[in-house]
Amino acid sequence: MGIPKIMSCRKRTWSPEKRALLVRVLIRMNLKMGILRTSRHWRSQNLERVTHKSTRYMGSVRTGNKGKSIIDNARIDDGGSEISESDQRAEESDSSEDEVPSRNTIGDVPLQWYRDEEHIGYDVKGKKIKKKERQDKLDAFLASADDSKNWRKINDEYNDEVVELTKDETRLIHRLLKGKAPHAGFDPYPDYVDFFKWDDAKHPLSNAPEPKRRFIPSKWEAKKVAKYARAIREGLIKLDKPKEEPRFYNLWGDDLNSKDRAGHLAYIPAPKPKLPGHEESYNPSLEYIPTQEEINSYQLMYEEDRPKFIPKRFTSLKSVPAYENAVNDSFERCMDLYMSYRAWKKRLNIDPESLKPKLPSRKDLKPYPVTCYLEYRGHEGAVVSISTEATGQWIASGSADGTVRIWEVETGRCRGVWTIGEPVQFVSWNPLSELPILAIAAGQDVLLLNTGLGNAEDQKKIKELLQVEISGTAGDSDEQPLVSWLQDDKHKHEAIRLRHFKTVTSVEWHRKGDYLSTVTPAGESRAILIHQLSKKVTQKIPFKLHGLPVSSVFHPSRSIFFVSTKKNVRVYDLLKQKLIKKLETGLREVSSIAIHPQGDNVIVGSREGKLCWFDMDLSSQPYKTLQCHSKDITNVAFHRSYPLFASCSDDCTAYVFHGMVYSDFNQNPLIVPLEILRGHASSNGRGVMDCKFHPRQPWLFTAGADSVVRLFCH
Amino acid sequence: MDGEDFGEEMSRRVQVRFVTKLNPPLKVPAASIAIPANLTRLGLSTVVNNLIQSGNPDWNQEPFDFLIDGELIRMSLEQFLLAKGISAEKILEIEYIRAVAPRKEEDASEHEDWVSAVDGSNARFILTGCYDGLGRVWDAPGSCSHILGGHSDAITSVSVVNQEGAESVCVATASKDRTLRLWKVHTEASLNSSVTIRAFKILRGHKASVQSVSASSAGDMICSGSWDCTINLWNTKELAADDNPVTVKKRKVNNQVEESQMEEEAVSTLVGHTQCVSSVIWPQPETIYSTSWDHSVRRWDVETGKDMLNIFCGKVLNCLDIGGEASALIAAGGSDPVLRIWDPRKPASSAPIFQFSSHASWISACKWHDKSWFHLLSASYDGKIMLWDLRTAWPLAVIDSHKDKVFCADWWRGDCVVSGGMDSKLRISSEIPIQ
Repeated sequence: MGIPKIMSCRKRTWSPEKRALLVRVLIRMNLKMGILRTSRHWRSQNLERVTHKSTRYMGSVRTGNKGKSIIDNARIDDGGSEISESDQRAEESDSSEDEVPSRNTIGDVPLQWYRDEEHIGYDVKGKKIKKKERQDKLDAFLASADDSKNWRKINDEYNDEVVELTKDETRLIHRLLKGKAPHAGFDPYPDYVDFFKWDDAKHPLSNAPEPKRRFIPSKWEAKKVAKYARAIREGLIKLDKPKEEPRFYNLWGDDLNSKDRAGHLAYIPAPKPKLPGHEESYNPSLEYIPTQEEINSYQLMYEEDRPKFIPKRFTSLKSVPAYENAVNDSFERCMDLYMSYRAWKKRLNIDPESLKPKLPSRKDLKPYPVTCYLEYRGHEGAVVSISTEATGQWIASGSADGTVRIWEVETGRCRGVWTIGEPVQFVSWNPLSELPILAIAAGQDVLLLNTGLGNAEDQKKIKELLQVEISGTAGDSDEQPLVSWLQDDKHKHEAIRLRHFKTVTSVEWHRKGDYLSTVTPAGESRAILIHQLSKKVTQKIPFKLHGLPVSSVFHPSRSIFFVSTKKNVRVYDLLKQKLIKKLETGLREVSSIAIHPQGDNVIVGSREGKLCWFDMDLSSQPYKTLQCHSKDITNVAFHRSYPLFASCSDDCTAYVFHGMVYSDFNQNPLIVPLEILRGHASSNGRGVMDCKFHPRQPWLFTAGADSVVRLFCH
Repeated sequence: MDGEDFGEEMSRRVQVRFVTKLNPPLKVPAASIAIPANLTRLGLSTVVNNLIQSGNPDWNQEPFDFLIDGELIRMSLEQFLLAKGISAEKILEIEYIRAVAPRKEEDASEHEDWVSAVDGSNARFILTGCYDGLGRVWDAPGSCSHILGGHSDAITSVSVVNQEGAESVCVATASKDRTLRLWKVHTEASLNSSVTIRAFKILRGHKASVQSVSASSAGDMICSGSWDCTINLWNTKELAADDNPVTVKKRKVNNQVEESQMEEEAVSTLVGHTQCVSSVIWPQPETIYSTSWDHSVRRWDVETGKDMLNIFCGKVLNCLDIGGEASALIAAGGSDPVLRIWDPRKPASSAPIFQFSSHASWISACKWHDKSWFHLLSASYDGKIMLWDLRTAWPLAVIDSHKDKVFCADWWRGDCVVSGGMDSKLRISSEIPIQ
């Protein structure tokens, strides 16, 4: 398939006239005459065969590749004169439009026949083509010298005209000179297209037996080996050149030379003993000789400070006595070398800056809460807990003054006040937007309050939900009930009062808005209870708690339950009723916990101001521990949709972090501290008591002990 | 300027000629004069006042604003010329206009609760909405002629729908009780005491509090944006049997038969916003603009109900108005102190063409002046109302009459700014000369 294509493409660019011209250009481009001569010789040899072949195939379909290429070769090598008319006509069929038909029609005769004529030949209509007037040689030379394009001009004798080669043509010639294929588009090594379908071939292609040459030793190799052997025997090839020994070695070279050390890394040369100086001379100068007073003062010195050697003058070297401390000194020296520890100290050449983690710029991580624009004022005591409604239109706050307020987020208007009576510990909205029920933990009670929001249908549903038929018991019947479900009519909207037997500190809703869990730290086995609103049922979790529980959270998407005690966080599967994981915080006292909306990451705040980020897929140890607050962390929070989390503390600040969790498991979460939010005033040593993100906007609400709720916007 | 001596010859002088489009008493001679180059707006204003006074001895001082090449001067003349690269060699033509700033503060109109909405589109009265659930119609500062009672929750937005006959005007109110109500206000019935009227139509259909209402230019439809993320369109026309109204609902409360009130469903709903639709406006018969807490400004085609344009802002948006050049510019403000103005005619660019950021808190309202292409006002939670001119980046005037957050503001009668806020007062700043 591929071969005819190449053929045709080659032919299209090569009209016989052009080919003739190109050859002439080749000559002008300093091709050696010798080559030409040999080629001419070869041509004259081939001529007969070529013409013979071309006539044989004339008019017929081109049968073979080989014969054709020979013809091509022949055409390249000689001028157009050799190409027969018939051959030209045969090629006209698929010649392209860029081929100009020859003007002259004299055909395949030597041009010298027309040398003395006034015309060079005949045109198509049979009229004589007049020869052009020959330019004077001198003029021609001058013209050619002036013309910068002269080098690409060729005189076409056949048509008697000057042809200027185009750039493409010169490029073609260059390629020919380099021995490449003339056409740039021609690929000499095309991908082999396998025509045979190998699929499902059971048998080998060939049935021929393995040829003999595959398993008899090669004669050629034997010859080659014999040749080498002879050469070695005669000494023409020398093996094992003797190594050159260095003639001199560095006698005074330092032992610490790195070259020596490279050989045996463990060896550390001993420090050299002090060399004798002038004072050890047998006849030192006078200034070295100590006076008698100095010698006396030596006696008062400590043994180790005393000079070991006192210089003395002798008249001659032979009167010098033996050194009495010689043995002692060499023993000391040996002991020093033996006892003292010598080791290579490794010094790392690292720029301490480069050890800092590369964090992205804060600007790229926008939006995140920065400025406080709105304040929600009205509470008279510290605001202990806040909660945002699912749509983000309302926010509820519970205060130590015993009231719960609902605020309009947009304007800061207080929508309603409910007096609970006892200091409120925790408020939490039902996560369903159509069930705006607020759970309030105050004292021993958890109050499920109808806030009166939502449209008429929702209100009807809520009112139905907040009716307790059998006022009283739930849980185990024989023992005392876990919790009493009471109807509360004190408030103008219907409410359910869940009376626990100890103080409740936290209430968390399940994402479906039916279950809620409460934590009563002093409740021992009944410390964590799960209530079901629709059936008014309470049950305790079937796990043993280790330590005082602090808070409990439902997993945002699966039936997993997190319980944090003062030291650890335990993760339970509620369906299988078993412990999945235990997260070792390493903190002194955990104060708060928040789950990433995807559920695989947990942050834990502690009373010593540390924040731990757990990647539950990674390990049960913290992935990162951030020491940012100087006082207790009161709460931590994740944003539902933006990659943000925040922590608030009693040091009156709230920190906002970027916490990006990647879906790629190989990539660790990216944690970048973004902003410190200030503004709350300290009151009774407490600062910011709670922080919650707006459910839809990158805004943070903070509740302060200074009885103000603030909204920080991006 | 003969007789005028500006002290030392320290500063350079520039040749200027004052021109104006104002009427004759405010015109100055067209001759060019040399004035020091270090004059600011105040200095220039003094010069012009002196010039006018020289021709008209009983002239009261009047502040002026000055324009060079369509840009207001907000620094010294020298600096301005340097900054703009204008040659001081030629005679400079300075156009002066009357400074846009309120000259007078009217009496405040007291409300029972926070004033959440105001509409001054009718020259005869001001319509306000209040957090106590009542709408009020004010004939003049301090005199309430009508009280619109019926909403069970705070009114969030009010809008004058259309003029019905000589003395009756239809108005609409939106409330947090998830309804909109239509009222007929008879402006001629001017009594000393205020009349309480009831709505003639209740529009139910929103699932959450209605945040904004706007009437179409023709007045036969209104649209409303709500916390349930939808925009509803409603008919304002009464049913065909208008003379003998079909009583849809007749209630007996305290043995007193109330007026008939019709209830009606929405004509159509535009869905597309993902969060609370905070503001809608219906400037042309076929297009509605809306802003939402999902950080976008959208343009809706009323016929198809599709959004044709969606400008992403990055901030929560609370207010919106259409106006300015060819009534095509969008001004919007929201949860940051920046008032942004977009030109939707510019293809493929969602960058605002102007940003005014002198406020200190959220912007709660913005309104274009309906006569001028350049002027608009903005109200903010920092308690300030600012008047802006597109020709300068600084506010023309700051009205600081409110004590706390300002929730709403509007132009009234072309030269007054009416505003209401958290201090339960409707403030009117009047005599703002906008030609």
